[in-house]
Amino acid sequence: MKLQFNSMLSRIAAMQIAAVAVACIALPLALYFLLKSTVVSLEQQAMEEQAHEISDYLEHKDGQWRLHLPARLQDSYSVAYGRYAYSVQDAAGNTLFSSFVSGNPIDLDDPHSSSTYYFHLHRHNGNLYGASVPVVVDGVPLWIQVSEDLANRDVLVDDVVADFFPQVGWITAPILLLLLVIEIVIVRAGLKPVLIASDRAAKIGPASVDIRLPETGLPGEIQPLVHAVNAALDRLEQGFKAQRDFTADAAHELRTPLAILRTNIDLIADQEVAAALRQDVTMMSRLVDQLLNFAELETLVIRRDEVADLHAVCAEVAAYLAPLAVKQNKSLAVPECPAPVLIRGNADVLGQAVRNLVENALAHTPRGTTVEIEVTPEPAIYVRDQGPGVSEAERELVFRRFWRRDRRRRGSSGGLGLSIVSRIAEAHRGTVSVHNQPTGGAVFVIRFDRSTMVESGGTRAAEPAAPAPSPGRTPAEAHHS
Amino acid sequence: MALLLIEDNERLASLLKQGLERTGFKVDVIDTATDAAEALATIKFEVVILDLGLPDEDGLSVLKTMRQRGDMTPVIVMTARGSLRERVEGLDSGADDYLVKPVALEELVARINALLRRPGNLLGTALRMGNLTLDTAGRQVFIDEKAQILGARELAILEHLLRRSGRVIPKKFLENSLYGLGEEISSNAVEVYVHRLRKRLTDIGANVQVHTVRGVGYMLSEAK
Repeated sequence: MKLQFNSMLSRIAAMQIAAVAVACIALPLALYFLLKSTVVSLEQQAMEEQAHEISDYLEHKDGQWRLHLPARLQDSYSVAYGRYAYSVQDAAGNTLFSSFVSGNPIDLDDPHSSSTYYFHLHRHNGNLYGASVPVVVDGVPLWIQVSEDLANRDVLVDDVVADFFPQVGWITAPILLLLLVIEIVIVRAGLKPVLIASDRAAKIGPASVDIRLPETGLPGEIQPLVHAVNAALDRLEQGFKAQRDFTADAAHELRTPLAILRTNIDLIADQEVAAALRQDVTMMSRLVDQLLNFAELETLVIRRDEVADLHAVCAEVAAYLAPLAVKQNKSLAVPECPAPVLIRGNADVLGQAVRNLVENALAHTPRGTTVEIEVTPEPAIYVRDQGPGVSEAERELVFRRFWRRDRRRRGSSGGLGLSIVSRIAEAHRGTVSVHNQPTGGAVFVIRFDRSTMVESGGTRAAEPAAPAPSPGRTPAEAHHS
Repeated sequence: MALLLIEDNERLASLLKQGLERTGFKVDVIDTATDAAEALATIKFEVVILDLGLPDEDGLSVLKTMRQRGDMTPVIVMTARGSLRERVEGLDSGADDYLVKPVALEELVARINALLRRPGNLLGTALRMGNLTLDTAGRQVFIDEKAQILGARELAILEHLLRRSGRVIPKKFLENSLYGLGEEISSNAVEVYVHRLRKRLTDIGANVQVHTVRGVGYMLSEAK
């Protein structure tokens, strides 16, 4: 199994931990060897000095060698002490003097080398470490060997080497871990601009294509990436705007020819023919409206201070669509709700959503029945009809663009209405869904997030205002077959 | 009744002129903002129908100039611009109505008539629907020319419904108008008077109906 480190921080941390582990082992080892070699070279130096010291006390008198060691040195080399030993040899290999009891004790491969020679011997009673130093006394070459029994090594050196290891370990590990923590802090601080840029990037959507990532304060290594992303966003925004503008322009441009067509039809004497044509024009106009609506909704942003009174919105829609309902011998009802339900949202756009739902309900509810628009403090808006309902399989499909139950049926609704509702609900952090009532008939519900609720401060009246000149064509025109 | 139609699309303009003249209006057509401003400064029209996408200047500037001059001639904006922002801008600029193309001829005529009928515009007109006529000045109701007796409150409600026939009148609005008659009214007063009005309309044989939009208000329509 391969471990994945997706965050830069975790990668750095992982690599750092590995480095710490290596350092924890390598550093004491290196220190150990360094210390050891220092000790060895000190010992060698000491031994060489000892040999020279011994040579100072050698004397050649009357063809005889004499050695007058002072008492201090004699004690050091005494057999009883047993730690240090020496021997002096001449060129012929004869041992002239020796602190060893039994003559020449050290069996060297090359006893008469021209330069100082260090040796390390394994013997039955321990390790011997020593030096063979060539000296010249009174013009005669001699070799002085000095040795030390490692079995009785100096306690100080022993302690230093033995204790140094764990101590270094105990000190290195925390220091390295502290470095790791510091590094994480540094990396985090260094990555902060990147996180800010990420937050900003998360806000980019169809309604806010103009947002760009901040390029200042970024680490130099990341700046080119962010710059490239911003350049890509520029191109995307252009493409997106072109697409949106095209939809809006096309729909807009269609309105004038439609107006000509419509007026032409209105002037036709044969009312039967006119009625059929009028229906077609109405449908086309409706589709154009919806296309424009859709293009508009792409850029919909709910301002923070916008508040909509759901009951007022529904009452207004009911008042607007009532003539259409009456014409079809159907009625509308908006049951009173005990307290105003206010949400953060755009009342006009929400009205559009409710209007689409009610138009849909009126299209399906039979003559003589009532479409009910109810607001509850969930907060939610329910639109109930007495029609045949929506089958389980179609409940997701109805909110798709241009979906139609019967593709062959002429003149059924344009198919954008419910998808517009869905988009509007989404813009208000809400959802739209449909189910059937136990008594039959469909219930469309727009549910809003509780967080969008605004405490009613009583600033807005719950009842609809006096009838305003309704923009757009009359609802009687806006209906579908 | 002289109307001014400011529309640069020749075909649409001629068709609308034809249609409106058939309904009895006299229509002058102008296709640029400059000519429109000139015509409006010299001739008094009953209603102006204004397209916004004019070749030389935006139609809204014509409207704004009119209002700045204190010319309160009713203006119906009729345009291809239908977004919410554009509608609000149009109404804020002083338009009395805002219609998005395509507009049914029938509707345009209805809107023009609605503007001409406005209170203050023509006092004492007869409001008509079906076989019913209400003389707003004489406070009298007629069915096929025959005078009928109606209570003052019922008559007040009927007048409101007739003035906005085909549209829903909020219940609150009717309630406030009853207050205006200097009455102590109960919470269900509107229901009571609407009920009485309905009954009376049936009794006198009027072929109009008062529809209830429960929780919202009332609407008058011709009975089918």
